[in-house]
Amino acid sequence: MPEQTHTRYGSNIGQPLTRREGLLKVTGSARFAADNHPEGMLYAALATSTIARGRVTFLDVAAAKAHPGVVDVIVPGNTPQLAFDPDDKDSPFTFRMDVLQNDRVRYANQAIAVVIGETLEAATEGAALLAPRYDVEPARMGLDGNETFVPPAVGVGEPPDIDNGGDVDAGLAGSAKRVDATYETPAQYHNAMEPHAIVAQWDGDKLTVDTPSQALTMGQGRIAQLFGIDPANILIRSPFLGGGFGSKALMKGPQILGIMAARRTGRPVKLVLRRDQMFGPVGHRAPTRQTVRMGTDDSGQIQAIHHHNHTATSSFDDFFEPAANLSHTLYAAPALKTTHTAVRLDTGTPLFMRAPGEASGSIALESAVDEMAEACGMDPLAFRLKNYAEVEPISGKPFSSKNLRECYEQGAAAFGWSKRAAAPRTMRDEAGLLVGWGMGTATFPALIFAADARATLKADGTGLVEIGAQDMGQGAWTALAQIAADGLGLDIDQVEFRMGSSDLPNGGIAGGSGHTATAGNAIHAAGGDVIAKLARLATDDQRSPLFGAGNAGVVARDGRLVRRDDESRGESYADILARAGLPALEGQGSAGADQDAQKRYAMHAHGAVFAEVKVDPELGQIRCTRLVGAFAAGRVINPRLVRSQYFGGMIWGVSFALHEEAVMDHRSGRPLNANLGEYHVPVNADIPSLEAILVDEKDSIINALGVKGVGEIGITGTAGAIANAVYHATGVRVRQAPIRLERLLGDLPLAAE
Amino acid sequence: MYAFNYHRPASLAEASAVLVANADAKFMAGGQTLLPAMKLRLANPSDLVDLVALRAELSGIRREGDRVVIGAMTRHGEIATSDVLLAAIPALAGMAAIVGDPAVRSRGTMGGSLANNDPAADYPAAALALGATIVTDRREIAADHYFLGLFETALEEGEIITAIAWPIPKRAGYEKFRNPASRYAMVGVFVAERADGAVRVTVTGAGASGVFRATDFETALTADFSSAALAGVAASPEGLNTDIHADAEYRAHLVGVMARRAVAAATA
Ligand SMILES: Cc1cc2nc3c(=O)[nH]c(=O)nc-3n(C[C@H](O)[C@H](O)[C@H](O)COP(=O)(O)OP(=O)(O)OC[C@H]3O[C@@H](n4cnc5c(N)ncnc54)[C@H](O)[C@@H]3O)c2cc1C
Repeated sequence: MPEQTHTRYGSNIGQPLTRREGLLKVTGSARFAADNHPEGMLYAALATSTIARGRVTFLDVAAAKAHPGVVDVIVPGNTPQLAFDPDDKDSPFTFRMDVLQNDRVRYANQAIAVVIGETLEAATEGAALLAPRYDVEPARMGLDGNETFVPPAVGVGEPPDIDNGGDVDAGLAGSAKRVDATYETPAQYHNAMEPHAIVAQWDGDKLTVDTPSQALTMGQGRIAQLFGIDPANILIRSPFLGGGFGSKALMKGPQILGIMAARRTGRPVKLVLRRDQMFGPVGHRAPTRQTVRMGTDDSGQIQAIHHHNHTATSSFDDFFEPAANLSHTLYAAPALKTTHTAVRLDTGTPLFMRAPGEASGSIALESAVDEMAEACGMDPLAFRLKNYAEVEPISGKPFSSKNLRECYEQGAAAFGWSKRAAAPRTMRDEAGLLVGWGMGTATFPALIFAADARATLKADGTGLVEIGAQDMGQGAWTALAQIAADGLGLDIDQVEFRMGSSDLPNGGIAGGSGHTATAGNAIHAAGGDVIAKLARLATDDQRSPLFGAGNAGVVARDGRLVRRDDESRGESYADILARAGLPALEGQGSAGADQDAQKRYAMHAHGAVFAEVKVDPELGQIRCTRLVGAFAAGRVINPRLVRSQYFGGMIWGVSFALHEEAVMDHRSGRPLNANLGEYHVPVNADIPSLEAILVDEKDSIINALGVKGVGEIGITGTAGAIANAVYHATGVRVRQAPIRLERLLGDLPLAAE
Repeated sequence: MYAFNYHRPASLAEASAVLVANADAKFMAGGQTLLPAMKLRLANPSDLVDLVALRAELSGIRREGDRVVIGAMTRHGEIATSDVLLAAIPALAGMAAIVGDPAVRSRGTMGGSLANNDPAADYPAAALALGATIVTDRREIAADHYFLGLFETALEEGEIITAIAWPIPKRAGYEKFRNPASRYAMVGVFVAERADGAVRVTVTGAGASGVFRATDFETALTADFSSAALAGVAASPEGLNTDIHADAEYRAHLVGVMARRAVAAATA
């Protein structure tokens, strides 16, 4: 990492450092997976199916092989033998994958062959020459495209139906005001800037792969399982990810095919997915149709909430978007229940996509709350405050911390919410555009996974901290290094920090917004461990000024240990190690969920998002002109990076509400817009003004560092806030995301005035 | 991309000869439509006849009396910034300025666009409204007889557009609702009052068979050339495109709004 100077006011944590790898990235010298070109490397190209269901009956392998530069063609039947059936499952995180195990096609853009060439052009042309023929079966598409069933579990092992013991039907029946509305969200694809890419090279039974991974140890285990080799013989290098968003959490079929290609040819192979090939085998956010039924008494107090989610999974595996479960945590309700149903469709298996469940659930719940507030004749913020949950509604547990009230307050003040006109379609700007203000509550669970870290103090008093953590662009290289430095009581420039490689201690998963909590706590504990060892060396040694400090204790600061009761007495790390004759001293640390605390407390981050939209009354064209979010998510390690995570999440919220939709052709089962020209995401011009407020929150229960997660929460709240703002601007309630111009046109008295 | 033979003829006659001799040969001007189609294997020409060597001969913008003549190989970017055109037909220069993005405008040509006749392309609307003449190596074709449907024109095998002659109107305006990604027209409406007083309103991007005249709008504007005159005039969704970007109803609605805004631009 390049040197960087900064002012440190005692602690590294809390400093707004810029990304330590920023220079590498802006100069193009950060090496992403596909930037690797080992000696003798071949290129692999996937041939992918143009049907969604059926069998491949013919591939013109001879034509592909005859093309100059084509080295090999892998088709079902000539793949290297696997040690584990790719259609088997042995854990909730083992997902079935398509690696040419047979001639079945289960979704469009599934790999049906791999062509390997001396050049990318040769491989690509070879793949095109395969000219596949198929036995086509009708594709089952759309939320009504197959039989509806109740899934055995949703998300990762959560029951499909949950309630808090209250009688929802009675509660609704006894309510003075009711809302019963159905909201739809489309399939969305992650579309990280960096497509899934792999460079694989075998050396006997040893395998080295460069591939983006949000979970190095899990990835290593999966490859080991499939190829029947010792995980210790696999090295995965993933120093940088060009975005992951969940789609790089697990090894995917195409990555395994790249490894197979290297095995068959005996040479290093690079395989990079094309943009259109990412619409199938690497996961997506499943479509949902959600019904929210809610009732209040005369005063606007919620009596009952029923949130139902109907979603889709693939024909061959299970992942059910747990969208309704968002309602477990936000609004107090004596009777609360969530239910799920699903269909099986001929698509790739949906998977975790940034705020899986929460994002889709939030736009439905926040829209319904807005409708409910209006039915009660209440301001949306006043309504939310009236129904503020002091304990977690589904469980009755207290929150480990919850500063949502402050989020509402600070967000509303910054936005100017008090000036909102109550009635819809009453605000205009100077240009005559309709103006709408809407809000939503944001929430995301505070997760932590298992991880280990190693910290070493060297003879010169500097530190080395190592963990197989992952930087997806969120800034882990910087934030984790800040924690590492504090753990060792050193300045950040005195600590060498290593991560992003599977030969380092298990850094857990960079997912579920839990990476800073997970890796950070492991790192901090490792630092604490080595400092404790060092302290023992000093306090046991008569020659040390710290001798006998045992009971009073010592503090590590700026490369020195000092007596807690007399800071003038102390000595440097280097001196302690030198006297002990040690070239280095090593410590270990780990992190994981505190089961006991989890039983007793509900743990979530919270926020409030306020949105302004302007709508052209003639065209229905919508612009989100202003977004203010205020979030409370425990301790902030690096405010600059945290703000950037909130911005990113809020922009995803804009995308969810106004842009993103994978349009599926129900006849062919293919996505019609598998490219970034037609799969719309916001660009800079779509995001004129963003503000993220970091609301103070101390949480001494959640984990040693008091860190919650910030990566996903920004989407929640935002999409609903925008939908509500569109309603407020136009008086037209569109219950289908994205809110498209023509969906607004249906009811908008366009140009009528 | 399929394999093909590449030619760079030095004369019009030579270029035409390659096309006549090879049934599956194609001209290439800016390549902004042809090359992407070839990369996607949607086009498979046996021979590619690159007209780049004829650029000197086939490009340029000059005023000839009451018309402006633009060489077929003139690029969108050159058209957008031409002082001659900005003075004579600013609506046409303004149209060129919003074709695609800067990269497209610095390669794509007026001849290529008119030869291609994409149903969402801009120039066809201007050509039909202003009464342009398509000049080829063989003849002159009036715009009214040139556009024959989706990607269909009156051009024959091997016929090369050399120039387009644009009569200078009294006033004209163009408004386009752009696809946010490609910038192609979801709907574009060109309104013109020609030198002889005839009013034309043409629509691109909306019609299932390409550019068309909106005659109800023409009638209303003939009586009163003002956007107020279009207040009660609506386009029918019948025969309009529905695709993932917008449905026919929305496009019909856009025709009305774009027409009013185009008249406002023409009369500003
Ligand atoms: C991202 C993108 C955005 C775009 N946005 C727009 C837009 O907003 N509006 C718009 O109108 N267009 C748009 N285009 C199309 C662009 O304007 C093209 O440049 C134009 O359609 C074709 O011109 P060309 O010179 O590139 O022709 P080419 O691609 O080289 O050729 C197109 C066709 O015309 C034929 N041809 C070319 N020249 C002649 C000639 N002189 N005589 C006979 N036949 C000829 C070729 O054989 C070929 O069939 C866009 C293109 C891209 C890639």
